[in-house]
Amino acid sequence: MSRPPPSFTPQNPTPAPNPGGPASSFPASFSNLQISGAPPPFASAGPPAGNGPAPPSIRGPQAPVPGARPFAGSPSPPVQQSPPFGGPPAVQPLQPPQRPPFHGPLSGPPAQAQRAPFRGPPAASQPPPFAGPPAAVSQPPPFVATPQLPPYSAAQPQLFGGPPGGAVPLPTYSMPPFGGPPQQGPYGGPPQFGGQRPGSQPPSFGAHTAPASQPPPFMGVPGASAPAFGPPGWQGQPQPGVLPGGLQPSMRMPVMPGGMQPIAGQGIPSTPTMPYSPHAGAQVSTPSKIDPNQIPRPIAETSVVIFETRQGGQAAVPPAASSEFIVKDTGNCSPRLMRCTMNQIPCTGDLVTTSGMPLALMVQPFALPHPSEEPIQLVDFGEMGPIRCSRCKAYINPFMRFVDQGKNFICNLCGFSNDTPREYLCNLGPDGRRRDADDRPELCRGTVEFIASKEFLVREPMPAVYFFLVDVSMNAVHTGATAAACSAISQALSDLPEGPRTMVGIATFDSAIHFYSLKRAQQQPLMLIVPDIQDVYTPLQMDLILPVSECRDSLEQLLESIPSMFENNRVADSAFGAAMKASFLAMKPTGGKLLVFQSVLPSVGTGSLSAREAEGRSNISTGDKEAHKLLQPVDKTLKTMALEFAEYQVCVDVFLTTQSYTDIASISVVPSTTGGRVYYYFPFSALSDPAKLFNDLRWNISRPQGFEAVMRVRCSQGLQVQDYSGNFCKRVPTDIDLPAIDSDKAIMVTFKHDDKFQENSECAFQCALLYTTVYGQRRIRVINISLPCTSMLSNLFRYADLETQFTYIVKQAASGIPTSSPSQVRDQVTSTCINILQSYRKYCASVSSSGQLILPEALKLLPLYTLALIKSIGLRNDGRIDDRSYWVSIVSSISVFLAVPLVFPRMIALHDLMSRDDEDSLIPNHLTLNSENIQDDGIYLLENGEDGFIYVGNAVNSATLEQIFGSSSLAGVPNQLVLEQFDNELSRKVNEIVNEIRRQRCSYLRLRLCQKGDPSGDFFRSLLVEDKAPGGLSYVEFLVHVHRQIQSKMT
Amino acid sequence: MAEFLQLEMQDGVRMTWNVIPGTKQDAANCVVPVSAIYTPLNPNTEIPVLPYAPLRCRICRSILNPFSMVDFNSKLWLCPFCFHRNHFPQQYSAVSPTNLPTELYPQCATVEYMATAETGPVSPPVFLFVVDTCIIEEEIGYLKSALAQAVELLPDHSLVGFITFGTYVQVHELGFGLLPKSYVFRGTKEVTKDQILEQMGFFAGKTKPKTGVIAGARDGLSAESIARFLLPASECEFMLNSVIEELQKDPWPVSADQRASRCTGAALSVAAGLLGVCVPGSGARIMAFIGGPSTEGPGSIISKPLSEPIRSHKDLDKGSAPLYNKAVKFYEEIASQLVHQGHVLDLFACALDQVGVAEMKVAVERTGGIVVLAESFGHSVFKDSLRRIFQSSDNDLGLSFNGIFEINCSKDVKIQGIIGPCTSLEKKSPLSSDTVVGQGNTSAWKMCGLDKKTSLCLVFDIVRKDAPDTTDQSKNEFYFQFLTYYQHHDGQMRLRSTTILRRWVAGSGSVQELITGFDQEAAAAVMARLVSFKMEAEVDFDPVRWLDRALISLCSKFGDYQKETPSSFSLSPRLSIFPQFIFNLRRSQFVQVFNNSPDETAYFRMMLNRENVANAVVMIQPSLISYSFQSEPEPVLLDVTAIAPDRILLLDSYFTIVVFHGITIAQWRKAGYQDQEGHEVFAKLLRGPKEEADSVIKERFPVPRLVVCDQYGSQARFLLAKLNPSVTYNSDNPPPPGGDVIFTDDASFQVFMDHLQRLAVH
Repeated sequence: MSRPPPSFTPQNPTPAPNPGGPASSFPASFSNLQISGAPPPFASAGPPAGNGPAPPSIRGPQAPVPGARPFAGSPSPPVQQSPPFGGPPAVQPLQPPQRPPFHGPLSGPPAQAQRAPFRGPPAASQPPPFAGPPAAVSQPPPFVATPQLPPYSAAQPQLFGGPPGGAVPLPTYSMPPFGGPPQQGPYGGPPQFGGQRPGSQPPSFGAHTAPASQPPPFMGVPGASAPAFGPPGWQGQPQPGVLPGGLQPSMRMPVMPGGMQPIAGQGIPSTPTMPYSPHAGAQVSTPSKIDPNQIPRPIAETSVVIFETRQGGQAAVPPAASSEFIVKDTGNCSPRLMRCTMNQIPCTGDLVTTSGMPLALMVQPFALPHPSEEPIQLVDFGEMGPIRCSRCKAYINPFMRFVDQGKNFICNLCGFSNDTPREYLCNLGPDGRRRDADDRPELCRGTVEFIASKEFLVREPMPAVYFFLVDVSMNAVHTGATAAACSAISQALSDLPEGPRTMVGIATFDSAIHFYSLKRAQQQPLMLIVPDIQDVYTPLQMDLILPVSECRDSLEQLLESIPSMFENNRVADSAFGAAMKASFLAMKPTGGKLLVFQSVLPSVGTGSLSAREAEGRSNISTGDKEAHKLLQPVDKTLKTMALEFAEYQVCVDVFLTTQSYTDIASISVVPSTTGGRVYYYFPFSALSDPAKLFNDLRWNISRPQGFEAVMRVRCSQGLQVQDYSGNFCKRVPTDIDLPAIDSDKAIMVTFKHDDKFQENSECAFQCALLYTTVYGQRRIRVINISLPCTSMLSNLFRYADLETQFTYIVKQAASGIPTSSPSQVRDQVTSTCINILQSYRKYCASVSSSGQLILPEALKLLPLYTLALIKSIGLRNDGRIDDRSYWVSIVSSISVFLAVPLVFPRMIALHDLMSRDDEDSLIPNHLTLNSENIQDDGIYLLENGEDGFIYVGNAVNSATLEQIFGSSSLAGVPNQLVLEQFDNELSRKVNEIVNEIRRQRCSYLRLRLCQKGDPSGDFFRSLLVEDKAPGGLSYVEFLVHVHRQIQSKMT
Repeated sequence: MAEFLQLEMQDGVRMTWNVIPGTKQDAANCVVPVSAIYTPLNPNTEIPVLPYAPLRCRICRSILNPFSMVDFNSKLWLCPFCFHRNHFPQQYSAVSPTNLPTELYPQCATVEYMATAETGPVSPPVFLFVVDTCIIEEEIGYLKSALAQAVELLPDHSLVGFITFGTYVQVHELGFGLLPKSYVFRGTKEVTKDQILEQMGFFAGKTKPKTGVIAGARDGLSAESIARFLLPASECEFMLNSVIEELQKDPWPVSADQRASRCTGAALSVAAGLLGVCVPGSGARIMAFIGGPSTEGPGSIISKPLSEPIRSHKDLDKGSAPLYNKAVKFYEEIASQLVHQGHVLDLFACALDQVGVAEMKVAVERTGGIVVLAESFGHSVFKDSLRRIFQSSDNDLGLSFNGIFEINCSKDVKIQGIIGPCTSLEKKSPLSSDTVVGQGNTSAWKMCGLDKKTSLCLVFDIVRKDAPDTTDQSKNEFYFQFLTYYQHHDGQMRLRSTTILRRWVAGSGSVQELITGFDQEAAAAVMARLVSFKMEAEVDFDPVRWLDRALISLCSKFGDYQKETPSSFSLSPRLSIFPQFIFNLRRSQFVQVFNNSPDETAYFRMMLNRENVANAVVMIQPSLISYSFQSEPEPVLLDVTAIAPDRILLLDSYFTIVVFHGITIAQWRKAGYQDQEGHEVFAKLLRGPKEEADSVIKERFPVPRLVVCDQYGSQARFLLAKLNPSVTYNSDNPPPPGGDVIFTDDASFQVFMDHLQRLAVH
């Protein structure tokens, strides 16, 4: 540091009616409390007086919306203190009387949970390395005991008073979160809502449940409504003892304990999880002596929130994607299905540009619902088909306004006035709504499914076709990958959708492609080899793909014999591209899912690849500058192929069970164009990977999904769709084709303005997904959200959705990786972050001293996440090419829920599970990602939704080792760990935790053992993003860097 | 005549002129070319098999033979072809007038050598089945049972491979025990040998050698990789049977207005490639079973829509068969590949419509393959023929492989070429004439497949300009030596050597001598081959005119007559039936092709070109035998007047045997008299022609079609078509009572002869 870092001056906490007023009790310079929503907006928007009308624009003319009032500076009751940063759960304790009773019990734990991250190392209470006063550490107990607001102010001095860099903690507790105010609306009965019969309380739960029990005439059989899916149950943790040769015998363990496949309607799980809440307090540190404890970090939350998507005719601000919540669809869709980077839509394009924030939707049309949520209603309009706007073809939705005694309806997207079909006429009630609105899901639900009428069918709905393609080249057989694939397929057969429309087929390949005709008339399958891998074809038109019910036995037998059949295969070449093409030709008449198990670099035939990585390295002159070219597909062959696959509704998933470079950059083009994904098992281990392979495959075929889908997003006039991104194929600008779409896939849709919105209007988005269910029914899933428009920058920041925005940034970064050098991408990511913060600083917090780093409350974690992104696999310089390509490939379709942990992993301690005191949650509190939390006698699990790294210090009690690993020494334990459950409590807990994480992530983690003093340990430490790393800043340094950049831009 | 037969028995040679016109001009005047029909493997148990290598002339490489003059004192022998004096080697040192080696015995002009040292190891015969599956279920059933039977009869040591085809070609890997496994090739593409090597895993686990020939176990392929596809019959019996058992109709859908997609060309190209990779240079046959026209890929003969009919002779004449030339070119390439590899293509074409034999003819003929044409795989013509191929009995075909035929002649004789199942090796030598007929430009030919009956027609060129003044008896002799190396069906290589001597005459006074040496049957056979060849080779060739001219010239030269007096015309018995042969040849299927499809014509010609003289004569002029109460069975004139109500006629036209019951006989038979007591004679009469027919059928290959019919019945046309139309619907003389008339405008033999006489005497 050549010069002293700028001092962080406190944000003026003036209007905060926080009784604690913690900030005011400190010297300004220490008053790091940043209340993002509150003062800054007004600074920019003008005097408080002018502010009065502004916020109501969202909710009607005079809306004395509680949330807005605090900013106006008008004194208001505590409930109105709603700087937006409060995590939703936190608000609930403040409103017990108005909440449904089941919220009550949750009021206790949250406090505990939230505190945890700030405690530093758990109860073991080693003095924190940052040398805070011991008192700070020893103080936590009082907090635990004080769930409510008041103690906070009291506690603060004790905790943070000591160090000069001490921070003001946890504004969360002192203020009601966003969730609060809007809910207040209807109950509070502001006048203009009174016009809508305040007494009726439309959003009440009772009203919402009614439609389900009384289906309207148009609705299909209630039982037929879209099934509620639970997350996967993981099966078959392998036990090394029974894995000769890497072949996993029938290891089907019972479904994981703990209700792995929750039953819909079972109610709130008894053990709520503790997801992170990004809506924690925001802090500012003085750079010189920033207290690492005070800088913004995510806070775990344990409470389960009931989230009503619209309250009082207003869009409610959704809870964080990572938190646990139960959605009540009251007009807007569940945020799981679709959420926007901003919960208020800027009126003009300039406003978006100024803010530096992206305007995008993350759509995850099949996102898993919470088990307690109502299923999506299915509506059958018969031959008439769903009601649509005759101009823009938008589907009927709750925001279409019926006028003229219901004879006409006005499209909320294009404004066109349509005639109501006679069959669909209904009188309007005094409130202007149709009288049947609450009985018709399409008029009261944000998400609904329609049975597709004939006009949506270009052909019979396709059957569910699953075609397996297995690499049997020499290496694949030798490494056990072939056996693992065959065993996984064999076991997964029983998870295929039931019924006569489920078809299967199989082929194997090395330098030729081997098809198998499983026709029942023949006793043995017939093996047909396609040897011409330059110009492939399918050897039969029929009999290669048969109903699973007719060929299961012979298929199982075949799968059993394939590994031995190719035992002595000496063909090392692999014709991956040609094999895919040939399989595609076999599937062409129907379409379906092509599941490819590939083990080596495709070396021959159409679409063969070369070891570019080696070439790139040997050629040093082009070395670094051109390195990113290795992340681009080598040529267009596979892309062309993939486009053809997509055209015929074939979706490809590739399981790469490899021990060497396979050029994922080129290979991944096929899945990403056809709606599939790459699964990567590197280096493949016949010991540990079969279980993951099986579980991945099982989830792949059993998760909620649809086939031959077309998706289009429509939005209100004023905006237009700019682009879609994700795993799909796009032929026309407006639609995307998805040969398959499943619960894990998200599609990002970006928008741009082509006009202005009125201040008091709403902007609606409608995603329509036409697809075929696995049972062969053609449906349209229509997902609606309508958000208020604002012309105030401060509102944009206040209602920004951090996780969605960050997901956008991650995806943008991923798309830039193949075309730019890593440093450019990192710079790009950093400047995105800086631009946003600078915009905020400039327009919303201009009154503050320039010495302060001021973070908008909603986005206060943006720097931390950005730092994590910079250090992620995809943006690292030192990563293997394939690892980076894989990272890019999974990011392209990743959901908001999984994007954050992928970049910003979660770490927990395993060694002290037995002495945990937060027993109410299955998963212990997470630790901050810095090495100060790593102790030599500890065992830690760090997971990012893909991998689980178990770090073992070098001074771990051998008894603990014995309990967890079944061996008092790790000498013989392979790095690619197979976690077994032993007969002891600790082992049971570890397994429970791992399984719970698997359930949450819908992913069977690849567990790896990392030991101190080993390269694996060093790797583990490189994942601790807050640490200073070679070539990477520590969190504190990064904040300083960001601040400097902002400062330099401001001047 | 009998002496010619005698000579044929002994050496397998029939010559048109057994006394040879000695100069080029004389030969030209003789009209019928100097030629020989030679049956290299003519079965004769008296031919000695010598267990040592032949002794060759140092200069011309001809082989020591009975016509070599031996100087016993100086242990020298004089080569009759080049007159070089050769020393006997050590092992012949004991040669003396009383101790002659076998090959010098005068009666041993034909001998076989079997020298193990020279020929190397015994290689088993290879049978590669190529089976069409684009046929209806019923036919598949027939084919299955025929194949199953054939497989049973395969010699245990022979290697077997199996290919099926339809839309695609499937090469069955018989050596893979776990599952039925096959390699599937696209029907639309030709497959090269290199592709087979690469795509069928012959290099599995090894890198492909950069240079050199890579084929066969001797040239770098592992025996295991070959044994995947070609296995000893004894080892793969189970797999082979199950593959045959599971034969199914080609599964690709065919719409009702389309022909099945059948890739015969690609299948044969794959088969040829596979054999080329696995067993080059060793005896192997591709046995193709084809049930319809090729519509897919190379060598296809017709497009798929049924609205388009398959080409006829008329289309070929007009050039309106768009695929014909392309297909022929393709099969020529297959042929040269097979010849290069020494492999045979056999064709079993069984369909009601044509399958493209006309196009494939070149490949079958050049490789010396067998061809069988039948209407159905269920027909006895096919079934029994197939069985005959593998049956070992007195009548076995003696299938041999990989032959090379070479010739040596005296220096005034050259060879124009061979019409028959062989391919020129383009080994140009002083012996080869500039005039080329058939496979010429060489003195050596490849005979990939040959059997006991395979007969070559050699056309010679007498090149001496002037008759020499000397009449030295010793100098007016021509020697011919025919050498045939081949892989005997027991697997060993053998060399058969036939050396013959013919006298030549020259000058004007030689006519009578020439006549004594004229073999009119051989001449008819040669003329038939020649006319067929010219019809195919020459555009705008008028066969009838050509034959007529030839006959008239011949009669003018050799007939006895007074000028301008037709009635004075007579022919020597040596020549007397030749006009009749030509008359029937003019009317035969070889010349009157428009009565048949191109496939049938190709089939008939292929058979003509490989059969010996006797059989060729039957093809040209069927034999007719009459059975009646009045007399013993007797040959009768091939004339409509032979028909009588109380006669049974047995017509043998080689491809068809007709048993024709006169109307009375038919009525009796229908009344069942033959089963009644007291009518044993009638029963015997009925049995007679049947038994005769059976005995012919037993010997003949392909098995002829047997037609049993009654007078006035629809099948009677098979007989009537062959008879001389001496009584037609508009002739003056009425038929004899109970006789028959033929509805034709064709001239009868009598009319033909009248014209001939008139023209000959001009």
